[in-house]
Amino acid sequence: MKYLFFIFVSMVIFLSCKKDKVGFTPTPYELEIPSHFPDMIIPEDNPMTVEGIALGRKLFYEERLSGDNTISCASCHAPASGFSDPNQFSVGIDGIPGTRNSMALINLGWQNFFFWDGRSKTLEDQILEPVPNPIEMHQEWKDAVAKLNADKTYRNMFFRAFGESGIDSLKVSKAIAQFLRTMISGSSKFDVMYKWENSLPLNSNEQTIYATITAEEWAGYDLFKSLNGADCFHCHNGPLMQVQKFSNNGLDATFTDHGRRDVTGNPSDDGKFKVPTLRNIALTGPYMHDGRFNTLDEVIEHYSSGIQMSSTIDPMIEYASQGGVQLDAFEKDLLKKFLLTLTDYDFISNPDFQDPD
Amino acid sequence: MNWKLRTIFAVILITVVACKDDKVEDPVPTTMYLRITMQPVFGASDLSLNDTVTTSEGYKVQFTNLKCYFSSLKNGTSQLTQAALFDYESNGIQVLKVPGDPSKFSSLSGFLGVDPELNHDDPSAFPNSSPLNIMIANDMHWDWNPGYIFIKVEAKVDTIPDANTVLDHFVIFHVGTDPFIQTLSFSGLNWTNNGNDVYTTPLKLDLQKFLQNGSQIIDLKTEYTSHTMSGQEVLSEKVIQNFAAAISVY
Repeated sequence: MKYLFFIFVSMVIFLSCKKDKVGFTPTPYELEIPSHFPDMIIPEDNPMTVEGIALGRKLFYEERLSGDNTISCASCHAPASGFSDPNQFSVGIDGIPGTRNSMALINLGWQNFFFWDGRSKTLEDQILEPVPNPIEMHQEWKDAVAKLNADKTYRNMFFRAFGESGIDSLKVSKAIAQFLRTMISGSSKFDVMYKWENSLPLNSNEQTIYATITAEEWAGYDLFKSLNGADCFHCHNGPLMQVQKFSNNGLDATFTDHGRRDVTGNPSDDGKFKVPTLRNIALTGPYMHDGRFNTLDEVIEHYSSGIQMSSTIDPMIEYASQGGVQLDAFEKDLLKKFLLTLTDYDFISNPDFQDPD
Repeated sequence: MNWKLRTIFAVILITVVACKDDKVEDPVPTTMYLRITMQPVFGASDLSLNDTVTTSEGYKVQFTNLKCYFSSLKNGTSQLTQAALFDYESNGIQVLKVPGDPSKFSSLSGFLGVDPELNHDDPSAFPNSSPLNIMIANDMHWDWNPGYIFIKVEAKVDTIPDANTVLDHFVIFHVGTDPFIQTLSFSGLNWTNNGNDVYTTPLKLDLQKFLQNGSQIIDLKTEYTSHTMSGQEVLSEKVIQNFAAAISVY
């Protein structure tokens, strides 16, 4: 009897002392994809789960991923700036500025390559770069992982997301990738225009928005698509407002930043950069890979009269030999009015994308 | 259990095991694939993008982009594929690779371009694997009303025979819309098994013939751009007719 009592007490002590038990019951996450968008292809080795997305969201805003615990992903991809950086170049923890403008994070689940030069082919690969980059977060992954491992909340969240103990950089990138794939923008005024012109049904909210579309915005859209007008749609087309390619859009006659060529080594890629989406363009300045233009007016002026010829210039810039498409002031104004329809206020203010802490 | 029972049990077990049928491995069903390739050539020579070739007029040309859609490829009632996209820069010479029986496709007919039955559908609604899905079509789709770009030929050219050899003159042919769709037919196709039950039949795209299809000549000095807009019908038709004529069995 004495022995039984001793065993019972030992069991109680053992059970009370064991680690918090965290179950692994991942909840599949169903993406809400706008009806006029293509399906998103999710990597088989990184399925979307509620737990993974919650973890990724927390990590996105986690400053301990940087060497001195001062910057997170959101520092250079700020929600208030359309998940981009309002500065020409982002500055890392050592005060060193980068050489390219931070790209806006939007509809990343439909991108075929990442960074201005497309050096990463997957979102997961892309996410692995900024932490150890000496001019960005400047911290070895093992140190970042050690910080996360010291936090019980993270240990539990990683287990809930991946079903195994242990944290590593791949799990960090997978979780952040899951979160970023939820950041879908498809409810701007432009989306209503796109759906209406293609006879797709509008819901009641969209019908309300449709009633607010002005004649100038429609005219700007026509100009945007017109080959004899602004001729933007060769590179900014479809519901995503971009085509997946690299282009030399006539910024320079000679190049200090060789862009895609530095990745491929191919001289015909000299001065080419990824074509970005125009969604939320009004919020994501400054513009171009080097953030040289502060305003949409400057961008429009570039395509109108500032095109520089070079051997790799995109042949789709058909009026390059005369400096651009030569829009007059009225046309520039119409075009700008259309570009403003690409702002998705629901996306920017979506509480699911904000800092959870 | 006494020893008698154990012995009986053991004998029965041995008998059962010894008498069972020889196990014959079921043959693993294999899927045959049909692959169509299309090699761009300029006359007798294979052509890569950015190679410099000389036209009969003496112009130096570099082709920088070659793409086209095939659709509704079939032999009689046997459909090979709904659509296929040739994208030389991204996919090389492969036009398509789909499951199929080579014995059923000694001939093929279909369209150069996108079947009008499909050309105005929602490009986002096609399955992810379809060449017509907007993510694969990418810059080969204009808009729902005009639909897909059927052929895309882009090049840089020097049309002035002087010491300046810079290819500073752009050629852009983007031809599409329903009236310009072309029919194609190939017969006597030879499907070669390249291993793993992948049967390949090669086509070629002769850019020399594209520029000079009999008396139908495209003079790049004066005929260098078409987006199939109003007023460009004549050149658009010549371009896509020549492109269709330039495709043949290799």
